[in-house]
Amino acid sequence: MQGIVLALLVCLLLALITKRYALPTIPFYIIAGLVLGTSGLKLVGGDEISAFLTHLGLLFLLFFLGLEIKPDRIWKNQSAILSSGLIDLNINVVIGFLAAYALGFPLVDALIVAAAFFISSTAMAVSSLIENRKLLMRESETIVWLMVFEDIVVILILAFLGPQMDHPLAILVTTLTVLAVLYAVIRFGKDQIIWVLKRDDELPVLLTFSVVLGISALSVYLGIPESFMVIAFGTFLGTIDPVSFEVQSRPFKDVFLVIFFVFFGITVNLFAEGISIPALIAISVIAVVSKYASGIAIGKMIHRNSHSGIEIWANTIGRGEFSIAIAALYGSAMVSSAIAFMVIVTSIIGAFVAKYSGKIGKILIRPEPHVQEKAAEK
Amino acid sequence: MPLRSINLPGIGTKYELETEKQDTIAVFFLKSGNIQMYTLQHGCQTPSVAELSPPEARRLGSILTGAIMEADRESVEFAFSALSDLRITIHTYLVGKTIAGKSLEDLRIRAKTGVTIIAVSRGDKNIINPAADFELHEGDTLVAIGESDQLRRFERDIMVT
Repeated sequence: MQGIVLALLVCLLLALITKRYALPTIPFYIIAGLVLGTSGLKLVGGDEISAFLTHLGLLFLLFFLGLEIKPDRIWKNQSAILSSGLIDLNINVVIGFLAAYALGFPLVDALIVAAAFFISSTAMAVSSLIENRKLLMRESETIVWLMVFEDIVVILILAFLGPQMDHPLAILVTTLTVLAVLYAVIRFGKDQIIWVLKRDDELPVLLTFSVVLGISALSVYLGIPESFMVIAFGTFLGTIDPVSFEVQSRPFKDVFLVIFFVFFGITVNLFAEGISIPALIAISVIAVVSKYASGIAIGKMIHRNSHSGIEIWANTIGRGEFSIAIAALYGSAMVSSAIAFMVIVTSIIGAFVAKYSGKIGKILIRPEPHVQEKAAEK
Repeated sequence: MPLRSINLPGIGTKYELETEKQDTIAVFFLKSGNIQMYTLQHGCQTPSVAELSPPEARRLGSILTGAIMEADRESVEFAFSALSDLRITIHTYLVGKTIAGKSLEDLRIRAKTGVTIIAVSRGDKNIINPAADFELHEGDTLVAIGESDQLRRFERDIMVT
């Protein structure tokens, strides 16, 4: 218990500092965890309470992701989402997998690293676009759709992660049945749910908290993918009233997610067997370069311009919450240390590159002659 | 003057307008509640950006719709088509320094402009049908009713003298 309090106080202090300088907070929470925990001073260790609280953090992160998913909106913008998303997926998963495999990860571990390597942080991309006042850029829409695509991939990855005891087909049938029942309950209970959400006593928050935990417990009991179910449930509830569910679950998400990040750092052993510090640095650097390749490719294809690629790159370098979620759910020490290191390096470099993307772009790419002509014409 | 609006997941709603002179104005209603406004001059590469809080944005809105500086928040116009097109406008105004400390009687609002003050909002209290000797304070919000011409006169003669 004292350990959790200590970790939280350190995080509070870090949040005060990082928010002041508009830096991403996630890498600093993980660094705090690394310093306090297994890899550093060994002041704080994980116990049953911290495990429960970190689990809550993960559940609310996933529930929030579910609320944000709007199937009709995705359907309407599918060409925008797919065109850039597939380039991003192909380039980064291939490079991530080859890099991880070459650095000595076993086959399955390398696939998991590749998945975490591919998924950029949606939270960091969005806040960097807003903080750096880049929303008007043509590229910002491309980046937003790219994040939507990655979110969908996250859901698919999470559906396959986690302990699975039954036959895959049995799991699929149970999952679909439960989803159908939940959907029906939400459809027919819509008015009652709205009535509860409109109240100003403890009912709305109690409802939100207990349904999220309830779905998680139900999934564990039935042996179906828990993360996937929580996300899907969030999406269903999002069709009723996304705003109020967001308002109700945000405090839980905010607090428990900080605990999730810091305890992820605490339990990670950077000096895990099978991976060396140079290998960790190598995969992190490759992660930055790989997004450069995909950013430029997307920029050239969609905006016919390498400078657009620089902006796309700048805002998608940072890996974050979902990469950590994948690591936490997979649970291998070697994979976790690689992903923790990669998240820290890419998110800090990403924040820096996004802030100075204009200058960095000029250094990396010479203005193309026809672009200059066009500017002169104007 | 094509206006484009799009909902950006995670960010908010974007409205983009290209003016006749090909300048671009974009307004983003962020999920945080704040509003970012971008203006991009034709031929320029980097936009200027202002971030506004909701009250600031409303104020900017009323300036752009042609209301005077002291006018705050929106007005409502009621049209009764059955009564030979009777149009009544209700407008809210923020009391500034110029008329603070005066009563409705001192200002002779109805006699000069034809406008009637039907309510005053002060802090979290509302005074409906204020008496003639009711004294205005700076920061009060007046709810005025009248024809749009009368309200215009009211803005010109009472609010900005």
